[in-house]
Amino acid sequence: MDNTILEIKHLSKSFGTHQVLRDIDFTVSKGDVTSIIGASGSGKSTLLRCINLLENPTSGEILYHGQNVVARGFNAPAYRSHVGMVFQSFNLFNNMTVLDNCIVGQVKVLKKNKEEARVHAMEYLEKVGMAPYINAKPRQLSGGQKQRVAVARALAMDPEVLLFDEPTSALDPEMVGEVLTVMRGLAAEGMTMLVVTHEMAFARDVSNHVVYMNSGVICEEGAPQEVFGNPRKQETQDFLSRFRNS
Amino acid sequence: MDKLAKLVTDIGKLWANYSGAYLTGIQNTLILAVAATLAGCLIGLVCGVLNTIPCSPSDSPVKRFFLKLLRVIIRIYVEVFRGTPMVLQAVFIFYGLPYFTDGAVAFKGMSGIWAAALIVVSINTGAYMAESVRGGIISIDPGQTEGAKAIGMTHVQTMVHVIMPQALRNIIPQIGNNFIINIKDTSVMFVIGFVEFFATHRNIVGVNLLYFPSAVIEMVGYLTLTLLASFGLRWLEKKMDGDDNYELVSEDSLAMSVGTYSHPSRKTPFDEQSKEFRRKDGSRNG
Repeated sequence: MDNTILEIKHLSKSFGTHQVLRDIDFTVSKGDVTSIIGASGSGKSTLLRCINLLENPTSGEILYHGQNVVARGFNAPAYRSHVGMVFQSFNLFNNMTVLDNCIVGQVKVLKKNKEEARVHAMEYLEKVGMAPYINAKPRQLSGGQKQRVAVARALAMDPEVLLFDEPTSALDPEMVGEVLTVMRGLAAEGMTMLVVTHEMAFARDVSNHVVYMNSGVICEEGAPQEVFGNPRKQETQDFLSRFRNS
Repeated sequence: MDKLAKLVTDIGKLWANYSGAYLTGIQNTLILAVAATLAGCLIGLVCGVLNTIPCSPSDSPVKRFFLKLLRVIIRIYVEVFRGTPMVLQAVFIFYGLPYFTDGAVAFKGMSGIWAAALIVVSINTGAYMAESVRGGIISIDPGQTEGAKAIGMTHVQTMVHVIMPQALRNIIPQIGNNFIINIKDTSVMFVIGFVEFFATHRNIVGVNLLYFPSAVIEMVGYLTLTLLASFGLRWLEKKMDGDDNYELVSEDSLAMSVGTYSHPSRKTPFDEQSKEFRRKDGSRNG
Protein backbone atom coordinates (compact mmCIF):
# COMPACT_ATOMS: atom_id res chain seq x y z
CA MET A 1 0.00 0.00 0.00
CA ASP A 2 2.94 2.29 0.69
CA ASN A 3 3.92 2.52 -2.93
CA THR A 4 0.45 3.46 -4.13
CA ILE A 5 0.30 7.04 -5.38
CA LEU A 6 -3.06 7.20 -7.09
CA GLU A 7 -6.08 5.03 -6.61
CA ILE A 8 -9.08 5.53 -8.85
CA LYS A 9 -12.32 4.12 -7.56
CA HIS A 10 -15.61 3.83 -9.44
CA LEU A 11 -14.85 6.93 -11.47
CA SER A 12 -17.61 8.08 -13.82
CA LYS A 13 -17.94 11.16 -15.96
CA SER A 14 -20.85 12.42 -18.03
CA PHE A 15 -21.10 15.39 -20.35
CA GLY A 16 -24.83 16.07 -20.18
CA THR A 17 -26.56 12.81 -20.96
CA HIS A 18 -23.51 11.38 -22.67
CA GLN A 19 -21.59 9.11 -20.33
CA VAL A 20 -17.90 9.17 -21.24
CA LEU A 21 -16.44 7.16 -18.37
CA ARG A 22 -18.14 4.33 -16.52
CA ASP A 23 -16.98 2.89 -13.25
CA ILE A 24 -13.24 3.13 -13.82
CA ASP A 25 -11.00 1.41 -11.25
CA PHE A 26 -7.26 1.29 -11.31
CA THR A 27 -4.16 2.03 -9.31
CA VAL A 28 -0.90 3.81 -10.06
CA SER A 29 2.08 2.77 -7.93
CA LYS A 30 5.49 4.37 -7.68
CA GLY A 31 7.63 3.59 -10.73
CA ASP A 32 4.73 2.36 -12.83
CA VAL A 33 4.67 3.25 -16.50
CA THR A 34 1.05 2.76 -17.45
CA SER A 35 -0.08 3.10 -21.05
CA ILE A 36 -3.74 3.73 -21.74
CA ILE A 37 -4.66 2.65 -25.25
CA GLY A 38 -7.94 2.52 -27.11
CA ALA A 39 -9.84 4.00 -30.04
CA SER A 40 -10.52 7.73 -30.29
CA GLY A 41 -13.54 8.68 -28.20
CA SER A 42 -13.13 5.81 -25.78
CA GLY A 43 -12.57 8.23 -22.88
CA LYS A 44 -8.80 7.94 -22.47
CA SER A 45 -8.11 11.66 -22.46
CA THR A 46 -11.12 12.42 -20.28
CA LEU A 47 -9.83 9.91 -17.73
CA LEU A 48 -6.47 11.66 -17.66
CA ARG A 49 -8.09 15.09 -17.39
CA CYS A 50 -10.25 13.85 -14.51
CA ILE A 51 -7.17 12.62 -12.68
CA ASN A 52 -5.67 16.11 -12.93
CA LEU A 53 -9.04 17.69 -12.05
CA LEU A 54 -9.18 19.58 -15.33
CA GLU A 55 -12.57 17.88 -15.58
CA ASN A 56 -14.77 17.32 -12.57
CA PRO A 57 -15.71 13.64 -12.29
CA THR A 58 -19.46 13.06 -12.01
CA SER A 59 -19.00 10.39 -9.37
CA GLY A 60 -16.35 8.19 -7.84
CA GLU A 61 -13.16 8.87 -5.96
CA ILE A 62 -9.58 9.65 -6.84
CA LEU A 63 -7.31 8.92 -3.88
CA TYR A 64 -3.91 10.59 -3.83
CA HIS A 65 -1.94 8.95 -1.01
CA GLY A 66 -5.30 8.04 0.47
CA GLN A 67 -6.75 11.56 0.24
CA ASN A 68 -9.85 12.03 -1.90
CA VAL A 69 -9.02 14.83 -4.31
CA VAL A 70 -12.57 15.07 -5.64
CA ALA A 71 -13.93 16.12 -2.25
CA ARG A 72 -15.30 19.66 -2.00
CA GLY A 73 -12.81 22.15 -0.59
CA PHE A 74 -9.78 20.11 -1.61
CA ASN A 75 -6.79 22.24 -2.57
CA ALA A 76 -6.66 21.41 -6.27
CA PRO A 77 -3.72 23.69 -7.24
CA ALA A 78 -1.45 22.14 -4.57
CA TYR A 79 -2.42 18.65 -5.73
CA ARG A 80 -1.80 19.52 -9.38
CA SER A 81 1.71 20.71 -8.59
CA HIS A 82 2.52 17.10 -7.60
CA VAL A 83 0.90 15.62 -10.69
CA GLY A 84 2.49 16.92 -13.87
CA MET A 85 0.73 16.91 -17.20
CA VAL A 86 1.93 17.04 -20.78
CA PHE A 87 -0.72 17.95 -23.33
CA GLN A 88 -1.32 16.96 -26.90
CA SER A 89 -1.23 20.63 -27.92
CA PHE A 90 1.82 21.48 -25.74
CA ASN A 91 0.15 24.45 -24.01
CA LEU A 92 3.40 26.30 -23.46
CA PHE A 93 2.95 29.86 -22.24
CA ASN A 94 3.19 31.92 -25.41
CA ASN A 95 4.23 35.09 -23.62
CA MET A 96 7.35 33.57 -22.07
CA THR A 97 10.66 32.23 -23.30
CA VAL A 98 11.49 28.54 -23.05
CA LEU A 99 13.43 29.12 -19.84
CA ASP A 100 10.70 31.24 -18.22
CA ASN A 101 8.16 28.55 -19.07
CA CYS A 102 10.14 26.15 -16.91
CA ILE A 103 10.82 28.67 -14.13
CA VAL A 104 7.47 30.36 -13.54
CA GLY A 105 5.83 27.38 -11.85
CA GLN A 106 8.76 26.77 -9.54
CA VAL A 107 8.90 30.40 -8.46
CA LYS A 108 5.18 31.14 -8.17
CA VAL A 109 3.85 27.78 -7.01
CA LEU A 110 6.77 26.12 -5.22
CA LYS A 111 8.09 29.52 -3.98
CA LYS A 112 11.68 28.76 -4.93
CA ASN A 113 14.07 31.63 -5.52
CA LYS A 114 14.77 32.55 -9.09
CA GLU A 115 18.37 31.39 -9.32
CA GLU A 116 17.62 28.01 -7.79
CA ALA A 117 14.69 27.61 -10.19
CA ARG A 118 16.86 28.54 -13.15
CA VAL A 119 19.50 25.94 -12.31
CA HIS A 120 16.83 23.30 -11.80
CA ALA A 121 15.09 24.22 -15.08
CA MET A 122 18.36 24.07 -16.99
CA GLU A 123 19.00 20.58 -15.67
CA TYR A 124 15.77 19.32 -17.26
CA LEU A 125 16.06 21.42 -20.41
CA GLU A 126 19.45 19.81 -20.95
CA LYS A 127 17.95 16.39 -20.37
CA VAL A 128 15.38 16.94 -23.14
CA GLY A 129 17.98 18.56 -25.39
CA MET A 130 16.37 22.00 -25.37
CA ALA A 131 19.08 23.88 -23.47
CA PRO A 132 20.25 25.69 -26.64
CA TYR A 133 16.78 27.22 -27.08
CA ILE A 134 16.23 28.80 -23.67
CA ASN A 135 15.84 32.27 -25.17
CA ALA A 136 13.34 31.25 -27.85
CA LYS A 137 9.60 31.90 -27.65
CA PRO A 138 7.27 28.91 -28.20
CA ARG A 139 6.08 30.28 -31.58
CA GLN A 140 9.65 29.96 -32.87
CA LEU A 141 9.92 26.23 -32.13
CA SER A 142 8.86 23.10 -34.00
CA GLY A 143 6.20 20.82 -32.55
CA GLY A 144 8.68 18.26 -31.27
CA GLN A 145 10.78 20.96 -29.63
CA LYS A 146 7.69 22.48 -27.98
CA GLN A 147 6.70 19.11 -26.59
CA ARG A 148 10.16 18.53 -25.18
CA VAL A 149 9.99 21.92 -23.45
CA ALA A 150 6.56 20.96 -22.12
CA VAL A 151 8.07 17.80 -20.65
CA ALA A 152 10.88 19.83 -19.07
CA ARG A 153 8.34 22.30 -17.65
CA ALA A 154 6.39 19.47 -16.05
CA LEU A 155 9.56 17.78 -14.73
CA ALA A 156 10.91 21.02 -13.25
CA MET A 157 8.04 20.88 -10.75
CA ASP A 158 9.43 17.55 -9.45
CA PRO A 159 6.09 15.78 -9.81
CA GLU A 160 5.38 12.38 -8.33
CA VAL A 161 3.44 11.28 -11.39
CA LEU A 162 3.59 12.59 -14.92
CA LEU A 163 0.48 12.38 -17.08
CA PHE A 164 0.90 12.38 -20.86
CA ASP A 165 -2.17 13.13 -22.95
CA GLU A 166 -1.34 11.84 -26.45
CA PRO A 167 2.01 13.64 -26.43
CA THR A 168 2.91 12.71 -29.99
CA SER A 169 -0.47 12.88 -31.74
CA ALA A 170 -0.07 16.47 -32.91
CA LEU A 171 3.46 15.97 -34.20
CA ASP A 172 4.82 15.36 -37.67
CA PRO A 173 6.13 11.81 -38.02
CA GLU A 174 9.78 12.86 -38.02
CA MET A 175 9.33 14.62 -34.67
CA VAL A 176 7.63 11.74 -32.88
CA GLY A 177 10.97 10.04 -32.35
CA GLU A 178 12.58 12.86 -30.40
CA VAL A 179 9.71 13.04 -27.91
CA LEU A 180 9.49 9.27 -27.49
CA THR A 181 13.25 9.17 -26.88
CA VAL A 182 12.81 11.61 -24.01
CA MET A 183 9.90 9.59 -22.59
CA ARG A 184 11.86 6.34 -22.81
CA GLY A 185 14.69 7.99 -20.89
CA LEU A 186 12.28 9.08 -18.16
CA ALA A 187 10.78 5.62 -17.87
CA ALA A 188 14.26 4.10 -17.57
CA GLU A 189 15.02 6.48 -14.70
CA GLY A 190 12.00 5.20 -12.80
CA MET A 191 9.62 8.14 -13.32
CA THR A 192 6.01 7.21 -12.60
CA MET A 193 4.12 7.86 -15.80
CA LEU A 194 0.58 7.53 -17.07
CA VAL A 195 0.54 7.76 -20.84
CA VAL A 196 -2.45 7.99 -23.14
CA THR A 197 -1.03 7.02 -26.50
CA HIS A 198 -1.58 5.67 -29.97
CA GLU A 199 2.07 4.59 -30.18
CA MET A 200 1.61 0.85 -29.74
CA ALA A 201 5.34 0.13 -29.90
CA PHE A 202 5.89 2.52 -27.01
CA ALA A 203 3.07 0.97 -24.98
CA ARG A 204 4.43 -2.51 -25.62
CA ASP A 205 8.14 -1.87 -25.08
CA VAL A 206 8.31 0.86 -22.46
CA SER A 207 5.34 0.45 -20.14
CA ASN A 208 4.94 -2.22 -17.51
CA HIS A 209 1.17 -1.94 -17.40
CA VAL A 210 -1.26 -1.53 -20.28
CA VAL A 211 -4.90 -0.45 -19.96
CA TYR A 212 -7.17 -0.94 -22.95
CA MET A 213 -10.25 1.27 -22.88
CA ASN A 214 -13.34 0.80 -24.97
CA SER A 215 -16.41 3.08 -24.88
CA GLY A 216 -15.76 4.47 -21.42
CA VAL A 217 -14.83 1.30 -19.56
CA ILE A 218 -11.57 -0.51 -18.92
CA CYS A 219 -11.94 -3.49 -21.21
CA GLU A 220 -8.69 -5.22 -20.42
CA GLU A 221 -5.55 -4.47 -18.46
CA GLY A 222 -2.35 -6.21 -17.54
CA ALA A 223 1.30 -6.56 -18.40
CA PRO A 224 2.12 -5.55 -22.00
CA GLN A 225 3.15 -9.08 -22.92
CA GLU A 226 -0.31 -10.33 -21.92
CA VAL A 227 -2.38 -7.56 -23.50
CA PHE A 228 -0.38 -7.45 -26.74
CA GLY A 229 0.70 -11.09 -26.92
CA ASN A 230 -2.37 -12.84 -25.69
CA PRO A 231 -5.43 -10.54 -25.48
CA ARG A 232 -8.33 -12.24 -23.74
CA LYS A 233 -11.19 -10.08 -24.98
CA GLN A 234 -12.49 -10.00 -28.52
CA GLU A 235 -12.57 -6.14 -28.53
CA THR A 236 -8.89 -5.98 -27.62
CA GLN A 237 -7.99 -8.44 -30.37
CA ASP A 238 -9.96 -6.44 -32.94
CA PHE A 239 -8.37 -3.18 -31.83
CA LEU A 240 -4.84 -4.56 -31.90
CA SER A 241 -5.26 -6.34 -35.21
CA ARG A 242 -6.00 -2.99 -36.85
CA PHE A 243 -2.54 -1.85 -35.81
CA ARG A 244 -0.79 -5.03 -36.87
CA ASN A 245 -2.21 -4.84 -40.38
CA SER A 246 -1.20 -1.25 -40.94
CA MET B 1 -6.96 80.88 -56.28
CA ASP B 2 -7.79 84.15 -54.54
CA LYS B 3 -10.23 82.19 -52.30
CA LEU B 4 -7.35 80.05 -51.15
CA ALA B 5 -5.20 83.10 -50.59
CA LYS B 6 -8.05 84.61 -48.53
CA LEU B 7 -8.30 81.41 -46.50
CA VAL B 8 -4.58 81.51 -45.76
CA THR B 9 -4.75 85.15 -44.61
CA ASP B 10 -7.84 84.41 -42.49
CA ILE B 11 -6.14 81.46 -40.82
CA GLY B 12 -3.05 83.60 -40.31
CA LYS B 13 -5.20 86.30 -38.70
CA LEU B 14 -6.92 83.76 -36.41
CA TRP B 15 -3.64 82.15 -35.42
CA ALA B 16 -1.98 85.53 -34.72
CA ASN B 17 -4.80 86.52 -32.37
CA TYR B 18 -5.87 83.23 -30.80
CA SER B 19 -2.96 80.79 -31.04
CA GLY B 20 -2.75 80.74 -27.24
CA ALA B 21 -6.44 79.82 -26.93
CA TYR B 22 -6.16 77.07 -29.55
CA LEU B 23 -3.09 75.59 -27.89
CA THR B 24 -4.74 75.66 -24.46
CA GLY B 25 -7.72 73.89 -26.07
CA ILE B 26 -5.46 71.20 -27.51
CA GLN B 27 -3.76 70.83 -24.15
CA ASN B 28 -7.08 70.41 -22.32
CA THR B 29 -8.32 67.93 -24.91
CA LEU B 30 -5.16 65.87 -24.60
CA ILE B 31 -5.07 65.88 -20.81
CA LEU B 32 -8.73 64.86 -20.60
CA ALA B 33 -8.36 62.17 -23.31
CA VAL B 34 -5.23 60.65 -21.79
CA ALA B 35 -6.50 60.72 -18.21
CA ALA B 36 -9.94 59.39 -19.11
CA THR B 37 -8.52 56.65 -21.35
CA LEU B 38 -6.20 55.49 -18.57
CA ALA B 39 -8.96 55.59 -15.96
CA GLY B 40 -11.36 53.92 -18.39
CA CYS B 41 -8.87 51.15 -19.09
CA LEU B 42 -8.49 50.56 -15.37
CA ILE B 43 -12.27 50.36 -14.92
CA GLY B 44 -12.53 48.08 -17.95
CA LEU B 45 -9.72 45.88 -16.70
CA VAL B 46 -11.32 45.41 -13.29
CA CYS B 47 -14.74 44.71 -14.84
CA GLY B 48 -13.32 42.34 -17.44
CA VAL B 49 -11.31 40.37 -14.90
CA LEU B 50 -14.18 40.16 -12.39
CA ASN B 51 -16.49 39.11 -15.21
CA THR B 52 -14.33 36.13 -16.17
CA ILE B 53 -13.82 34.59 -12.72
CA PRO B 54 -14.70 30.95 -13.32
CA CYS B 55 -17.86 29.75 -11.64
CA SER B 56 -18.06 25.98 -11.39
CA PRO B 57 -20.96 23.95 -10.03
CA SER B 58 -18.68 22.58 -7.31
CA ASP B 59 -18.20 26.04 -5.77
CA SER B 60 -20.14 27.00 -2.67
CA PRO B 61 -23.60 28.54 -3.27
CA VAL B 62 -22.54 31.81 -1.59
CA LYS B 63 -19.60 32.25 -3.95
CA ARG B 64 -21.78 31.42 -6.93
CA PHE B 65 -24.44 33.93 -5.84
CA PHE B 66 -21.91 36.74 -5.52
CA LEU B 67 -20.30 35.93 -8.85
CA LYS B 68 -23.69 35.98 -10.56
CA LEU B 69 -24.59 39.26 -8.85
CA LEU B 70 -21.27 40.77 -9.92
CA ARG B 71 -21.85 39.76 -13.51
CA VAL B 72 -25.36 41.26 -13.51
CA ILE B 73 -24.09 44.58 -12.10
CA ILE B 74 -21.29 44.81 -14.66
CA ARG B 75 -23.73 43.91 -17.43
CA ILE B 76 -26.10 46.72 -16.42
CA TYR B 77 -23.23 49.22 -16.22
CA VAL B 78 -21.95 48.27 -19.66
CA GLU B 79 -25.37 48.34 -21.32
CA VAL B 80 -26.38 51.71 -19.81
CA PHE B 81 -23.19 53.60 -20.55
CA ARG B 82 -22.57 52.01 -23.92
CA GLY B 83 -26.17 52.50 -24.95
CA THR B 84 -26.64 56.23 -24.24
CA PRO B 85 -24.95 59.30 -25.80
CA MET B 86 -22.03 60.71 -23.84
CA VAL B 87 -23.48 64.25 -24.17
CA LEU B 88 -26.54 63.14 -22.20
CA GLN B 89 -24.44 61.27 -19.64
CA ALA B 90 -22.53 64.51 -19.04
CA VAL B 91 -25.75 66.44 -18.54
CA PHE B 92 -27.14 63.72 -16.26
CA ILE B 93 -24.15 63.72 -13.96
CA PHE B 94 -23.38 67.43 -14.03
CA TYR B 95 -26.96 68.61 -13.40
CA GLY B 96 -28.36 65.45 -11.83
CA LEU B 97 -26.23 65.40 -8.71
CA PRO B 98 -27.09 68.96 -7.57
CA TYR B 99 -30.75 68.35 -8.52
CA PHE B 100 -31.06 65.35 -6.22
CA THR B 101 -28.96 66.74 -3.40
CA ASP B 102 -30.49 70.25 -3.50
CA GLY B 103 -27.14 71.67 -4.52
CA ALA B 104 -25.27 70.11 -1.59
CA VAL B 105 -23.20 68.03 -3.97
CA ALA B 106 -22.36 69.95 -7.10
CA PHE B 107 -19.53 70.39 -9.54
CA LYS B 108 -18.52 73.95 -8.74
CA GLY B 109 -16.04 76.11 -10.62
CA MET B 110 -13.34 75.08 -13.03
CA SER B 111 -12.19 72.09 -10.97
CA GLY B 112 -15.80 70.90 -10.75
CA ILE B 113 -16.14 70.97 -14.52
CA TRP B 114 -12.86 69.10 -14.90
CA ALA B 115 -13.96 66.48 -12.39
CA ALA B 116 -17.34 66.00 -14.08
CA ALA B 117 -15.77 65.71 -17.55
CA LEU B 118 -13.17 63.23 -16.31
CA ILE B 119 -15.78 61.10 -14.57
CA VAL B 120 -18.13 61.00 -17.56
CA VAL B 121 -15.48 60.17 -20.17
CA SER B 122 -13.79 57.60 -17.89
CA ILE B 123 -17.01 55.79 -17.09
CA ASN B 124 -17.98 55.81 -20.73
CA THR B 125 -14.59 54.45 -21.85
CA GLY B 126 -14.71 51.88 -19.04
CA ALA B 127 -17.98 50.48 -20.38
CA TYR B 128 -16.44 49.86 -23.79
CA MET B 129 -13.17 48.58 -22.34
CA ALA B 130 -14.97 46.13 -20.03
CA GLU B 131 -16.23 44.31 -23.11
CA SER B 132 -12.86 44.57 -24.89
CA VAL B 133 -11.01 43.14 -21.91
CA ARG B 134 -13.54 40.33 -21.51
CA GLY B 135 -13.15 39.56 -25.21
CA GLY B 136 -9.36 39.69 -24.88
CA ILE B 137 -9.43 37.24 -22.01
CA ILE B 138 -11.78 34.71 -23.57
CA SER B 139 -9.89 34.89 -26.87
CA ILE B 140 -6.80 33.34 -25.24
CA ASP B 141 -6.58 29.62 -26.02
CA PRO B 142 -8.05 27.61 -23.09
CA GLY B 143 -4.92 25.46 -23.38
CA GLN B 144 -2.95 28.32 -21.80
CA THR B 145 -5.16 28.17 -18.72
CA GLU B 146 -4.93 24.39 -18.60
CA GLY B 147 -1.15 24.50 -18.91
CA ALA B 148 -1.00 26.92 -15.99
CA LYS B 149 -3.45 24.93 -13.89
CA ALA B 150 -1.53 21.73 -14.60
CA ILE B 151 1.59 23.08 -12.90
CA GLY B 152 -0.47 24.09 -9.89
CA MET B 153 -1.13 27.77 -10.51
CA THR B 154 -4.18 29.32 -8.88
CA HIS B 155 -6.69 31.36 -10.90
CA VAL B 156 -5.06 34.63 -9.79
CA GLN B 157 -1.55 33.44 -10.68
CA THR B 158 -2.79 32.17 -14.04
CA MET B 159 -4.41 35.51 -14.81
CA VAL B 160 -1.44 37.63 -13.70
CA HIS B 161 1.39 35.66 -15.27
CA VAL B 162 -0.13 33.92 -18.28
CA ILE B 163 -3.49 35.23 -19.46
CA MET B 164 -3.40 38.99 -18.87
CA PRO B 165 -0.02 39.62 -20.54
CA GLN B 166 -1.37 37.96 -23.67
CA ALA B 167 -4.84 39.47 -23.43
CA LEU B 168 -3.45 42.99 -22.89
CA ARG B 169 -1.29 42.65 -25.97
CA ASN B 170 -4.38 41.68 -27.95
CA ILE B 171 -6.50 44.59 -26.72
CA ILE B 172 -3.92 47.33 -27.39
CA PRO B 173 -5.59 48.10 -30.75
CA GLN B 174 -8.85 48.54 -28.79
CA ILE B 175 -7.16 50.84 -26.30
CA GLY B 176 -5.83 52.85 -29.23
CA ASN B 177 -9.31 52.99 -30.73
CA ASN B 178 -10.75 54.31 -27.50
CA PHE B 179 -7.98 56.86 -27.09
CA ILE B 180 -8.59 58.24 -30.57
CA ILE B 181 -12.34 58.25 -30.02
CA ASN B 182 -11.76 60.10 -26.76
CA ILE B 183 -9.59 62.77 -28.41
CA LYS B 184 -12.51 63.53 -30.71
CA ASP B 185 -15.49 62.85 -28.48
CA THR B 186 -14.31 64.92 -25.54
CA SER B 187 -15.59 67.75 -27.77
CA VAL B 188 -19.12 67.08 -26.50
CA MET B 189 -18.02 68.19 -23.04
CA PHE B 190 -18.75 71.78 -24.11
CA VAL B 191 -22.31 71.12 -22.84
CA ILE B 192 -21.05 71.33 -19.27
CA GLY B 193 -18.74 74.25 -20.05
CA PHE B 194 -15.52 72.34 -20.43
CA VAL B 195 -13.19 74.40 -22.66
CA GLU B 196 -11.32 71.94 -24.86
CA PHE B 197 -10.20 72.26 -28.47
CA PHE B 198 -13.65 72.34 -30.08
CA ALA B 199 -15.12 74.63 -27.41
CA THR B 200 -12.27 77.02 -28.17
CA HIS B 201 -13.45 77.11 -31.78
CA ARG B 202 -17.02 77.91 -30.67
CA ASN B 203 -15.78 80.73 -28.47
CA ILE B 204 -13.55 82.23 -31.16
CA VAL B 205 -16.01 82.13 -34.06
CA GLY B 206 -18.67 83.59 -31.78
CA VAL B 207 -16.61 86.77 -31.81
CA ASN B 208 -15.38 87.07 -35.42
CA LEU B 209 -17.65 84.73 -37.43
CA LEU B 210 -14.66 83.16 -39.29
CA TYR B 211 -16.39 79.74 -39.15
CA PHE B 212 -14.63 78.01 -41.98
CA PRO B 213 -11.00 79.12 -41.41
CA SER B 214 -11.30 78.19 -37.75
CA ALA B 215 -12.78 74.81 -38.72
CA VAL B 216 -9.73 74.19 -40.93
CA ILE B 217 -7.46 74.81 -37.95
CA GLU B 218 -9.60 72.40 -35.90
CA MET B 219 -9.48 69.70 -38.59
CA VAL B 220 -5.71 69.89 -38.95
CA GLY B 221 -5.32 69.97 -35.17
CA TYR B 222 -7.50 66.92 -34.51
CA LEU B 223 -5.95 64.93 -37.34
CA THR B 224 -2.45 65.69 -36.08
CA LEU B 225 -3.38 64.49 -32.59
CA THR B 226 -5.00 61.27 -33.78
CA LEU B 227 -2.19 60.45 -36.23
CA LEU B 228 0.41 60.91 -33.52
CA ALA B 229 -1.64 58.66 -31.24
CA SER B 230 -1.84 55.99 -33.97
CA PHE B 231 1.90 56.01 -34.58
CA GLY B 232 2.64 55.91 -30.88
CA LEU B 233 0.41 52.89 -30.34
CA ARG B 234 1.85 51.00 -33.32
CA TRP B 235 5.31 51.56 -31.88
CA LEU B 236 4.14 50.27 -28.50
CA GLU B 237 2.67 47.14 -30.12
CA LYS B 238 5.92 46.42 -31.94
CA LYS B 239 7.89 46.90 -28.75
CA MET B 240 5.64 44.50 -26.83
CA ASP B 241 5.99 41.78 -29.47
CA GLY B 242 9.72 41.70 -28.92
CA ASP B 243 12.44 40.55 -31.25
CA ASP B 244 11.70 37.84 -33.79
CA ASN B 245 15.22 36.47 -33.51
CA TYR B 246 16.75 34.44 -30.76
CA GLU B 247 20.23 33.15 -30.03
CA LEU B 248 21.08 29.47 -29.83
CA VAL B 249 23.10 28.85 -26.72
CA SER B 250 24.69 25.69 -28.16
CA GLU B 251 23.76 22.76 -30.42
CA ASP B 252 20.51 20.84 -30.10
CA SER B 253 21.52 17.23 -29.68
CA LEU B 254 18.10 15.62 -30.12
CA ALA B 255 16.54 17.51 -33.02
CA MET B 256 16.43 15.49 -36.26
CA SER B 257 17.62 12.43 -34.39
CA VAL B 258 15.26 10.46 -36.61
CA GLY B 259 15.51 12.35 -39.87
CA THR B 260 19.26 12.28 -40.35
CA TYR B 261 20.17 8.83 -39.18
CA SER B 262 23.51 7.99 -40.71
CA HIS B 263 24.83 4.51 -41.23
CA PRO B 264 28.61 4.31 -40.86
CA SER B 265 29.19 2.94 -44.36
CA ARG B 266 26.09 4.32 -46.07
CA LYS B 267 26.27 7.87 -44.74
CA THR B 268 22.81 9.47 -44.67
CA PRO B 269 19.87 7.77 -46.38
CA PHE B 270 19.55 10.76 -48.71
CA ASP B 271 22.90 10.96 -50.49
CA GLU B 272 23.91 9.27 -53.73
CA GLN B 273 26.33 6.84 -52.21
CA SER B 274 23.71 5.30 -49.98
CA LYS B 275 21.32 4.86 -52.91
CA GLU B 276 23.95 2.92 -54.82
CA PHE B 277 24.71 0.87 -51.78
CA ARG B 278 21.06 -0.09 -51.45
CA ARG B 279 20.78 -1.00 -55.11
CA LYS B 280 23.73 -3.36 -54.92
CA ASP B 281 22.52 -4.74 -51.64
CA GLY B 282 19.09 -5.39 -53.15
CA SER B 283 17.45 -5.85 -49.79
CA ARG B 284 15.84 -2.39 -49.79
CA ASN B 285 13.83 -0.58 -52.39
CA GLY B 286 16.09 2.24 -53.57
